[in-house]
Amino acid sequence: ADYTLTISSWAPPTHGINAKMWPKFVEMVEKATDGQVTAELKLGIAPPPAQMDLIMDGAADASIIFHGYQPGRFVTTKLIELPGYEGSAEDASVAYWRAYDQHLKAADEHRGVKVIALHTHGPAQLHSSTPVTSLEEVSGLKVRIPGGVGGDVGAALGATGIQVPAPKVYETLASKAADGVVMPLESRKGFKLTEVAQNVYEMPGGLYRGSFAFIMNEDTFADLPPELQAALEENVFGEPLSREIGKIWDEIDATGREATEAAEGNAINAASDADKEKFSAIAEDIRGKVIAEVDAAGVDAQAAYDMIKSEMSSN
Amino acid sequence: MTPIIQLVRRASALPVIVACIALFILMAMTFCDVILRSVFNAPIEAATELTRILMAILVFSVLPIVSTTNGHIAVDLTDGFFNRLHLSHARDVVIYVLSGIMLFWPVQRVLVLAERARDYGDVTEYLAIPTYLIGWFIALSVAITALVMIATGLLKAFAPNTLSEPLQ
Amino acid sequence: MTAALIGFAIVLILVLVRLPIVFAMGLVGTLGFAYERGGSILSERGLKAAMSMVGRQITDTAQDYGLSVIPLFILMGLFVNKGGMARELYAVSNAFLGHMRGGIAMATVAACGGFSAICGSSLATAATMSKVAMPQMRRYGYSDELSTASIAAGGTLGILIPPSVILVIYGLLTETSIGKLFMAGIIPGILGILFYLFAVRWTVWRNPEAGPAGERATWSERIRALGSVWAVLLLFFLVIGGLYGAFDFEPLNVTFSPTEAAGMGAAGAFLIALFRGGLTVGSTFEVLKETCFTASALFAVLIGAQIFSNFINLAGLPEALIAMVTAYDVAPFVVILMILGIYIILGCVFESLSMLLLTVPIFFPLVTSLGYDPIWFGIVVVVVTEISLITPPVGLNVFILKGVVGDVSTGTIFRGVTPFWIADIFRLALIVLVPIVVLYLPQQMGALGH
Ligand code: NA
Ligand code: NA
Repeated sequence: ADYTLTISSWAPPTHGINAKMWPKFVEMVEKATDGQVTAELKLGIAPPPAQMDLIMDGAADASIIFHGYQPGRFVTTKLIELPGYEGSAEDASVAYWRAYDQHLKAADEHRGVKVIALHTHGPAQLHSSTPVTSLEEVSGLKVRIPGGVGGDVGAALGATGIQVPAPKVYETLASKAADGVVMPLESRKGFKLTEVAQNVYEMPGGLYRGSFAFIMNEDTFADLPPELQAALEENVFGEPLSREIGKIWDEIDATGREATEAAEGNAINAASDADKEKFSAIAEDIRGKVIAEVDAAGVDAQAAYDMIKSEMSSN
Repeated sequence: MTPIIQLVRRASALPVIVACIALFILMAMTFCDVILRSVFNAPIEAATELTRILMAILVFSVLPIVSTTNGHIAVDLTDGFFNRLHLSHARDVVIYVLSGIMLFWPVQRVLVLAERARDYGDVTEYLAIPTYLIGWFIALSVAITALVMIATGLLKAFAPNTLSEPLQ
Repeated sequence: MTAALIGFAIVLILVLVRLPIVFAMGLVGTLGFAYERGGSILSERGLKAAMSMVGRQITDTAQDYGLSVIPLFILMGLFVNKGGMARELYAVSNAFLGHMRGGIAMATVAACGGFSAICGSSLATAATMSKVAMPQMRRYGYSDELSTASIAAGGTLGILIPPSVILVIYGLLTETSIGKLFMAGIIPGILGILFYLFAVRWTVWRNPEAGPAGERATWSERIRALGSVWAVLLLFFLVIGGLYGAFDFEPLNVTFSPTEAAGMGAAGAFLIALFRGGLTVGSTFEVLKETCFTASALFAVLIGAQIFSNFINLAGLPEALIAMVTAYDVAPFVVILMILGIYIILGCVFESLSMLLLTVPIFFPLVTSLGYDPIWFGIVVVVVTEISLITPPVGLNVFILKGVVGDVSTGTIFRGVTPFWIADIFRLALIVLVPIVVLYLPQQMGALGH
């Protein structure tokens, strides 16, 4: 290959992000450029919140960021995290990219880097070592929830938050420093939750969806010959990549569910109808609050929300 | 020259006191967090982010003093060799000055990163403390470290007598 | 790969002319990173990339929540000192072992082991025990070789028996569970005590003059001595018990994370020392100050190590080593033996922390790619670094003893240490050949987690 990009990533090497998503990215890039551009993965160069700085200054060419790790910096990304959307991670990721392209971009929150994909993981559910079967039992639990909408949901349910980056979740639960964690089902396998949090409390559509971006250094992109740039923009960056990554989130969610069903002593408890109703009222409140927040960031939040909602249901 | 050095020595008590207080608070807060969580089921939500900030304070407050009192971890395998050649003194001068100069670039970059965090509005999760403040503090501490290391090197070279008592 | 090896050589040279490790690793790591990113060490683009990485390491490492155990465990060890607990540990082991030939040296080793359970540093263990045990052994006519060697060697246990600052740093560098690493250190640590006891016996069997028998304590004296170590036991139970679920029952239901265990240990040691009248405002301040200074230097060196390790990572050295091992089809066990050989040689000149920082980023990916357990390798690395502390010509524990005792030559101490060093090699062989010795407890812990 004429150009080898360096990818900086975090999460365990075996996690879907590193085992499937980046390989998919490399595959798509190579295919679009006839093998002229490729990439190699480097893990552990810096902790998750440092990734955007690293990419901005060219310490690596591409990376993945989780918007919730940088409270204050990202507001419009909260829109996709809202509970209440129905649909797969693939649908959500595609809708997310379209809404970004049309509305969210205006807030310019990713200034300094090139956004090449936006995606969300599957619906996040509560995982705990002691069984939780009703929404009421969440109150008083010490729960690891990332920032953003997840934090608002946790607060509304009366849980006490604890800050731990995803790679440290296993140890936090094993040492019982937290009672539970809210993450998508994929983490049952990706972060070995089947061993330390045997019970899942499942709310359809999830308590929230986490928002991620793949980002790239602007100079790295500018240095590529125009025809390669065009090929990447056309076939990889934006909607195509977002869709493929969303698909992988769905895939690994399914693997996580299978792992849970196969693991001894693990259980998935579905939310009762009464709880679903109760939660949709909570979701409604949070939605109003987030839409106001996103509006304040200079984006037509209601229009963007409606767009995501209709894109997702039309799929 | 000497009055300035004395002033610096006296002023250096302040960061030590700040670091000690930060460490004591860190210990007391962790203790209280565990008790509150286990006995009263009411942990301190902001404990994690406060721990982070307290660590930055305790580590960086004393960095200038550690750096100028031979406090850095180093391999003294060749000390005898340098002593025999009467080169230890010259070596120390070079190391202090070079190390101090070396810190110039990191200071700049930490400041750039802090300014960036300010521009993006980065804050901590629970208390919404702006993170650029921590960046500024770290940059200031490393900058002072650089300056006092260079000064120590130069004094060792040109006015060794002024440094006869240890900098505390 | 060539760039990484050149960088490594330059770090070695800079370190040997006494440039502090943080500056040596930081400088080479930065320029190397710039080279990897920009094509030359001084390209504007490469330097900007490197400085950004450096700037983030500086701010992020000092704010790594998991690393808060470092100042807290150091603080605990220093408060323990003020509480007079080292003296009591020594008194109780002496009451039980002192009447045997070489018994006071054996008691010293046992007390070192006990002290290691509440102190995270080998140097602090050796320094503390030398003040307590040395006068006693002199009084009973123990040879300088045996008395100093039993403290220097016994002190090395400080970083293997939990808590351990070195294991925390290994956990950070390799993203391995600190709780499991601590658990894994217990059995090898106890083996270390037993092997050292043999080394003492062997020394007095060769030369009975080296360690005459002391007085036999009566059973009532022994029980009284046992009664005085409650503080040590309490602290150990609080920290290690808390980490492994001893308080996980109604109504407490609390298990400590490593940081919480360290905080509880430090606060507990503070309260005990305060309660016993061992603390004044001034001495508390001194303890806090010493902790901050030590922590500051440790964090500095960690920042340097992370910068250097990022360069090594980008330069692809670990991948190149793995490719080489695969290409030549070297048996995994032979690779382990070669790595151990390198460690023993490095151990002659380096002290524990620098050795760990320099080698783990290079060897860890290789060892785990061969299918070895990361926890097991962590213990192996700590045991070889323990050995480095008493390996001539540069053995830090030996120098500590020389510093505290004064009127013995380092040659004498190194001579006395030889049987202990051989005991260490046997222990290392056992750990390498029978990994279950290390892995049994952490595996149990996984089972208990349910
Ligand atoms: Na220890
Ligand atoms: Na050595």
